[in-house]
Amino acid sequence: MTVTTSARTQRATRRRRFSWTPYLFIGLAVLYLLLFAVVPLLKGLDLSFTNTRLLNPTAGKYIGFDNYDHLLGSGAFFKSVVTTLVYTAFTVVGSLALGTVSAFVINRFFPGRILARAVMVMPWAVPTVAVVLVFRWIYNDSTGVANAATAALGLGERGWLTDPSYGMLSVVLATVWKVTPFVMLVVLAALQSVPEDLYEATKIDGADSYSTFKLVVLPFLLPTLRVVALLMTIWSFRRFEIIWLLTGGGPVDVTTTIVIDVYRQAFNNSQLGLAAATGMLGLLLSLIVTAVYFVVEQRANKQNGVNA
Amino acid sequence: MIARRRLSTGVRALLALLLTCLAGFPLFWIINTAMTPTTDLFQGQQRLVPDISRTLDVFSVLTTDTPFLGWMANSAVVAFGTTLLSLVMATMAAYALSRYKFVGKGPMGFLFFATQMLPEALLVVPLYSLFAALGLLNQLSGLVLVNTAFAMPVALFILKSAIDNVPYELEESARVDGCSPLSILQVMVVPLVAPSMAAAAVITFFDGWNEYLFATTFIRDRSSWVGSTGLASFIGEFSTPLDTVFSAALVFTIPAIIFFLLMQRKIVSGLTAGSVKG
Amino acid sequence: MPTIEFDQVSKNFAGNTVIKGFDATVADKEFLVLLGPSGCGKSTMLRMIAGLTDISSGELRFDGVAVNDLEPKKRNIAFVFQSYALYPHMSVRANIGFPLVMDNFKWWHHIPLVGGFARRALMKRGDIAGEIDQVAEMLELTDYLDRRPKALSGGQRQRVAVARSLIREPALYLLDEPLSNLDAKLRTQMRAEISALHDRVQKSFVYVTHDQVEAMTMGTRIIVLNDGVVQQYGTPKEIYDRPANTFVARFIGSPPMNLVPVTFTDRGADMFGNTLSFAPPETLGEQAMQLGIRAEKVRVHAAGQDDGQAGYPAQIVTVENLGAETVVGFKFGSEPHDFEVGARASRDLFYAKLVGDVRLEHGQMCTVSFDPGDVLWYSTESGELFDSTQMASS
Ligand SMILES: Nc1ncnc2c1ncn2[C@@H]1O[C@H](COP(=O)(O)OP(=O)(O)OP(=O)(O)O)[C@@H](O)[C@H]1O
Ligand SMILES: [Mg+2]
Repeated sequence: MTVTTSARTQRATRRRRFSWTPYLFIGLAVLYLLLFAVVPLLKGLDLSFTNTRLLNPTAGKYIGFDNYDHLLGSGAFFKSVVTTLVYTAFTVVGSLALGTVSAFVINRFFPGRILARAVMVMPWAVPTVAVVLVFRWIYNDSTGVANAATAALGLGERGWLTDPSYGMLSVVLATVWKVTPFVMLVVLAALQSVPEDLYEATKIDGADSYSTFKLVVLPFLLPTLRVVALLMTIWSFRRFEIIWLLTGGGPVDVTTTIVIDVYRQAFNNSQLGLAAATGMLGLLLSLIVTAVYFVVEQRANKQNGVNA
Repeated sequence: MIARRRLSTGVRALLALLLTCLAGFPLFWIINTAMTPTTDLFQGQQRLVPDISRTLDVFSVLTTDTPFLGWMANSAVVAFGTTLLSLVMATMAAYALSRYKFVGKGPMGFLFFATQMLPEALLVVPLYSLFAALGLLNQLSGLVLVNTAFAMPVALFILKSAIDNVPYELEESARVDGCSPLSILQVMVVPLVAPSMAAAAVITFFDGWNEYLFATTFIRDRSSWVGSTGLASFIGEFSTPLDTVFSAALVFTIPAIIFFLLMQRKIVSGLTAGSVKG
Repeated sequence: MPTIEFDQVSKNFAGNTVIKGFDATVADKEFLVLLGPSGCGKSTMLRMIAGLTDISSGELRFDGVAVNDLEPKKRNIAFVFQSYALYPHMSVRANIGFPLVMDNFKWWHHIPLVGGFARRALMKRGDIAGEIDQVAEMLELTDYLDRRPKALSGGQRQRVAVARSLIREPALYLLDEPLSNLDAKLRTQMRAEISALHDRVQKSFVYVTHDQVEAMTMGTRIIVLNDGVVQQYGTPKEIYDRPANTFVARFIGSPPMNLVPVTFTDRGADMFGNTLSFAPPETLGEQAMQLGIRAEKVRVHAAGQDDGQAGYPAQIVTVENLGAETVVGFKFGSEPHDFEVGARASRDLFYAKLVGDVRLEHGQMCTVSFDPGDVLWYSTESGELFDSTQMASS
């Protein structure tokens, strides 16, 4: 009697319901990404071990790690890595700072708030090509409004897109302008998710505004800021269009980030193999940053206990 | 106390004014440049107030002298296709990720997140050869396919976080009443996440609308160009008057701005929730 | 209309066992009530019957056939969720009609877009519309048919949920606290409606509640659950008259059954210093037992006015006059005490339920008596009912 019961019990336990349904639902999307993202990625990996050239793409030969050797031994690659890091650091810090300030400003009532918010969100919606067009016009050497402004302030005129000392600044400014609204909206959402009664509770408990901020607002804000920082970072690593169309990597390569380098090697120097190797190394960098992020996140979660 | 509050409101309004000006200026400058005669522009004569009366002239020049409206129509086709394809796949995948436990769920979720990391510039070469093999170069449908690969995961994150918030009991109840999983998705889930679907639609639509890199590499025929490549072709060329170029930029920008403004809240809550759980 | 058999049914949530070896056989057409305190696993049990929650181990059988893996829709059930689960994007009418519409779905109605039209068409069909109107009328929802659930009160929502489950004629009705949010009058009325429905349709019902009045009045069989373990399975009368253990004794009845500690000494059975005039048939070898007596079986007289029977001195602590009856709380003892007023005063009290308005007062000394025939004996250690017939057989 006991034996049969336990056998039956085991059978019931082992027989976990298997269902094809989730695979039917998710399968299409997964296959799609495999075809249009993973396969090209693997193809890129494959290319990175060849000396394939754009003009005769089928004639590439496997050359082992030569491309990687070449890149890791060349100053140019490390320069593009540094450029990428500099560009990323400035855009992330700039947009995070500006976006957070904007969110705090917009979060409370003042006359004209709705209008201000609408205007402050708009840059996010402007197509990149249009952004580039207007910033090129603003940065224009002879007739640009940027120079008109600096001249009026008595600072003289700059070659915003032609002077190597200003190229990076110009690109970063245009980028920050475009992406800050995203940060602002996300931080705003986080601020508004702070339950009203929490504010009230701290007020009743007699907290001043600094401790209210520290105890109530910050815990809601930090997780969001961390996520936004990660997204901003990996998006900056792969951002192509705004830099390419604004400066093409110049002046004198000061804005040649890894992705610009990839594109130029492929389409200007027609070295597909080398371009692919560069891209793979760039991807590796993104992966490292993401991994670091998740480690930091995990540690933060552990410190905060169970939540988040 | 009241005085202090009034002061801080004042500071806030002032700061807001500054930020609004910074954010608004380039936009304003697009409008202003579009409304200033080209001759004035190149003599550094651009005034600070746009000459609204030129609106109709500028746009009639744009429609008659450039194929820009045709390019925008191509953009619309690409964007619409991207939206449709992305939403269908993303809705189903989001539903599976939100509601089912299954072997391979983790890696699949990672696959969707990982596409956020892939640089387009890296994939453009292999995709070019893939599309050449499939005969998809120079075709708007090719752009739809490639844009979907990048837009669909974003839609998926938005939709997953929305579906996570639909009470599971509704679906259980529908199951008891005899709904199949596919009809649960249609009858219960889709109507309930409609606002987020709209947000995801806007985001994917403008992913397709704004995309430049693939459009410029894959589409060679001038007549098949899309808005972004057409607009970019004006950069650094001098045969098209600058005010016309900027009116094109303006026309290309306005739909995006309107939709984003209407949808901003949904977009953001979807994006944050989606990526937090990523 | 199945017989439902539970064979060692258990449920774990991540290592936490919520239902422990549930065993029962429920005959066809029973009105089974699952009764128990909050969190004891009633909803989990019901969801396992419906197939919404996987059974961790053991077997659930309908008419002898294991149904552990049967799809919910194939079980031919109606379910009222504790949280209603109304479809927020549909009108009340569409909510109520939904099960009927789905019943009439052909396979090709599940194709995208087709389904939408099919549903709209089916809602308009005469028989379905008629059914909806009829059920709505029974539950007094006619005025709200075109509203969305959001625009209803809690009780109205609950009635929509009930209406949705009553519209079909499934083999098995599963209802999870369907009346918890209604006012007293409506609840009485709905109790009657559901009981009448049960008589009319002659189908099995499983009804979850923690309201013992519902359990006693509606159920033909009651399962009392605590902590995922079946405490007792029987008819309402069995459960009321012979609670199987002290948990059931305390859980059923208002006020609960009195459980008075009794110790056995050389002189006999001792209850608060009084020697009882009777003793349990066997003492089971325990030094102490609990004497169970229903409050309505206890008689109370003002001191000095005994009716001649053997009584035990006590002092009255609380008097609650409920109109038709009076509930008197007392403590045993012959010495008067000053009792605190408030929550603590009602601890460790024993109760008597007396008919009519009785002239007894707080603090008054009295005599308590009861018939030995009304007494049940419970083990102090295990809490089990000491059952003389069972004792004889084992
Ligand atoms: N999904 C779940 N994961 C983990 N624990 C759960 C889950 N669902 C229920 N439980 C636990 O199982 C126990 C029984 O829950 P159940 O909902 O069945 O109680 P109940 O008897 O219906 O209570 P109530 O009268 O309050 O509705 C509870 O302790 C609950 O915390
Ligand atoms: Mg429950």
